[in-house]
Amino acid sequence: MTYKVIGKRVKRVEDPRLLTGQALFVGDVTLPDMLHAAFLRSDYAHAKLISIDVNLALEVSGVVAVYTAADMGDAWEPGPPLVSPPPTLENVVFNSRRQVPLVKDKVKHAGEIIAVVVAESRYIAEDAVEEILVEFEPLPVVVDLEKCLEPGSVLVHDDLDTNLAAHLVQNKGDYESARKGADLIINRRFQLDRGAAVAMENRGIVADWNEKNQHLTVWDATQSPIPIRNGLAARLGLTQRQVRVIAPFVGGGFGPKIMMFYAEEMVLPWITMKLGVPIKWIEDRRENFYATTQEREQIHEVEMALSKEGHILGIKQTIIHDTGAFNPYGLTTPLNTQSHSMGAYDVQNYSSEVIVVFTNKTIVTPVRGAGRPQGIYIVERLLDIAARELELDLMEIRRLNFIPPDAFPYEHKIIDQAFVPLILDSGNYEPAFDKALEMLGYEDFIKKEQPRLRAEGKHVGIGIVPFIETTGVGPYEGARVSVEPSGKISAATGVGTQGQSHMTSFAQIIAEHLGVQVTDVNLVTGDTAEFQWGTGTFASRGAVVAGNAVNAAASDVRQKVLKLASKILETPEKELELEDGMVRVVDIPDQSISLGELALLANPLRGAVEPGTEPGLESTKYFGPAFGATAFGVHGMILEVDPETMMIKIRKYITVEDCGTMINPLVVEGQIHGGVSMGIGNAYYEKLHYDENGQLLNANLADYLIPGSTEMPHIDVHHANTPAPNNELGTKGVGEAGAIPVPALFAQALENALHDYELEILETPLSPNRLYELLHKQEDPS
Amino acid sequence: MKVTGEHIFKGTPKQVWDLFRDTDVMAAALPGTKNMEAVGENEYEAVMNVRVGPVAGEFSGTLVLSNEDYPKSYTLTVEGRGKPGFLKGTGDINLIYQGENSTLMEYGGDVQIGGKLAGVGQRLIDTVSKSIISQAFDTLDEVLAERTAAEEEGREAEYRKASEKDYAAAVAKDIVGGFLSAPWMKWLLGVFIVLIIVLILIISLT
Repeated sequence: MTYKVIGKRVKRVEDPRLLTGQALFVGDVTLPDMLHAAFLRSDYAHAKLISIDVNLALEVSGVVAVYTAADMGDAWEPGPPLVSPPPTLENVVFNSRRQVPLVKDKVKHAGEIIAVVVAESRYIAEDAVEEILVEFEPLPVVVDLEKCLEPGSVLVHDDLDTNLAAHLVQNKGDYESARKGADLIINRRFQLDRGAAVAMENRGIVADWNEKNQHLTVWDATQSPIPIRNGLAARLGLTQRQVRVIAPFVGGGFGPKIMMFYAEEMVLPWITMKLGVPIKWIEDRRENFYATTQEREQIHEVEMALSKEGHILGIKQTIIHDTGAFNPYGLTTPLNTQSHSMGAYDVQNYSSEVIVVFTNKTIVTPVRGAGRPQGIYIVERLLDIAARELELDLMEIRRLNFIPPDAFPYEHKIIDQAFVPLILDSGNYEPAFDKALEMLGYEDFIKKEQPRLRAEGKHVGIGIVPFIETTGVGPYEGARVSVEPSGKISAATGVGTQGQSHMTSFAQIIAEHLGVQVTDVNLVTGDTAEFQWGTGTFASRGAVVAGNAVNAAASDVRQKVLKLASKILETPEKELELEDGMVRVVDIPDQSISLGELALLANPLRGAVEPGTEPGLESTKYFGPAFGATAFGVHGMILEVDPETMMIKIRKYITVEDCGTMINPLVVEGQIHGGVSMGIGNAYYEKLHYDENGQLLNANLADYLIPGSTEMPHIDVHHANTPAPNNELGTKGVGEAGAIPVPALFAQALENALHDYELEILETPLSPNRLYELLHKQEDPS
Repeated sequence: MKVTGEHIFKGTPKQVWDLFRDTDVMAAALPGTKNMEAVGENEYEAVMNVRVGPVAGEFSGTLVLSNEDYPKSYTLTVEGRGKPGFLKGTGDINLIYQGENSTLMEYGGDVQIGGKLAGVGQRLIDTVSKSIISQAFDTLDEVLAERTAAEEEGREAEYRKASEKDYAAAVAKDIVGGFLSAPWMKWLLGVFIVLIIVLILIISLT
């Protein structure tokens, strides 16, 4: 189908508001009589809470209240279990331990909340926090993923006799048999460390209980306002209709703003109901480093069996995944790693064990990529190593193992993070791979440019890494589209917006169906009063799940428009067209009626309507896929390393992205640019340094390095299109894609650049320091 | 963090030991102490202002002195907590006479830091503590030289105490004056400051 609006590079309609400071963020919300909260957080990663004395804090002028866990009484309860283990998997161990609003007896990670001060200003509240006297009994700390499982280890949760949070095994085929027939077995241990999401806007909440209306309004910088609304209603004993959660513009989500039920999300609504006045809290950057969820720390013991030709016969691995002090988000991240450790390849035999452990560190939940970068890292590293051992070309070994295009839908016979069978719906990997090689000038670089540069003493390397990404998972999302008498279109969907351009992309879908301008569509996202069914913006699912719901609703409204117009214009529907906000008879443009007039006629003030008629030109539709849409792509780069400083210069960066039908290529490219930036951070700059006492040693943006414009290369993006077969639009998600292959790509390119050092990289993130250490170790094996 | 370090003093171990017991000297070397009291034999509580780059605030802590072997060695254990976070450490100090009026001070220990001190101050602790240490050792070396000179010339070194007080006042406004005149307090303050020096040394060498 050829589209008129979908697929066009429409400039983002939300940008003028965002760029001129006119867009509402939680930080902008100011209400009469509003009070401010500040939290006392534990410096200790593990400590018994002996006593709290808040009397001095209460004496501070301007302080209204100070609360501890004891004050919450029956309202004190841990956060809800968000994602339980897949019910279809057998022999799963899962010990659910969730975060608490205020620490009652024992601190389990640095940054947990001990007390909250409510005051007339944030300044006063912060000052009063320092007047709270707390007696702790520091306890030994456990941070190591393997030591925490040793007998006699310090326990994060005293009511468990282990730090094991979860254990599961998934098998496909018969790895042990495959191994027997192998010509080459590669065994490696990989160490992957933690990073932060570092959204530009930190979290923030304004909670406002209106006693007279018996209604609670919460502005929350969350990715998932509807689950937060539902959870708050349940916790506070209100009906869901008594609670409205608004996620206005949110300055970046990247995963951690998912429906966590962060301690602050539990505490602020409780306080506003107690005090009857609005309460505001905006997370500061340091709080963000301790209290907002993180990801990626895993240890992998992996084995790959190959034939001498380079065919993967099987993979076996044990993944130890660090969930931090609690595991509210279940197994999503390690399951993603498990399913992406086979990459874009036809792996017939796969045996993988997942061990999830509790440690005295900040909670882990998905961060852009969500376990996928780790999986891709593992399989791509193994292929690089295998190619060297078998003396095969790095690119050829990949080509040999790609899932062929005629094998889709390709069923992996394991369960993925959405609790449905891991089925790759579609794909066409080799042409994308060829395109990437061509864009990067691979042949020319290897044969001519690299030898020439090496002769000049330059350390230049090339890397090309393909990847897949399961996107667009269920359960469902919905949308409402409605033609207003003004001719403008109102639309709403449940997902929140954190920079994904929903106001533009979804408006394009609506404009396509209704023949209006994109700017004629007013779309509201993330407000439960506007749309109250759905889950949220995560897992690269907005354009797929919400997008197809918008598509269905807009298409339905179009049918309603045509039906009514057909009657009024006395013309068969198929002879009508929707253009410029009008319904016109195709061959007689003068014979027309505007959408606004039709909307008025569809909502009469007098007279009788036919039985069964629904008023207005409005439709609400839902979309829920049976399983996800699998996006894929290839990233390539040429980089230069200064072997003295280990600083790098990315000379070229290219991507081939296939996210099926693009609603707006401009938006897709923006997502890729952002993803690559995050990936570069994950690969070479960003690492959270925890010491052996669970202390984060770089909890600030001077020490925790995120790539800036000076580290960002120019990125050439090529779009391939393999439409998703299982949704009307053919869309696949692209929000996380950019970040996924980058650590694997860096490892490959760095090894290539430093080929004379015979470096083998088995860890991520790297840094100039760490690379120096690795090379030094290489030169001096002692 | 396990660390070690050393400094050579131009004096005998006894002179160095006494130097470290002299609260006036130590106050001059390390400003910031606000309050200190004994809570038991060889156990003290103290309040100090700490500033490491952007991390600043009051620190209250306990220190315990043990394994004293005058004038050769002792062990210091400190636990402190405050707005900047917390620290916990143990250090062994050895004074070794090397002949020719020269004493080697060796220290080694284990220290943990937490909270803002770790999360924000970590990168600056090295630089800040190095400058404090070099300032402190400079002062201590000068005082020792002055004492030695006074002894050789047969004059009283009394004037020195006053000048050290002035210096302390000039360097740090918040240093407490009055209580320093109490003899027992001088000794306690000296011990505390030694401990802080040791901890800073330890931290700086990690």
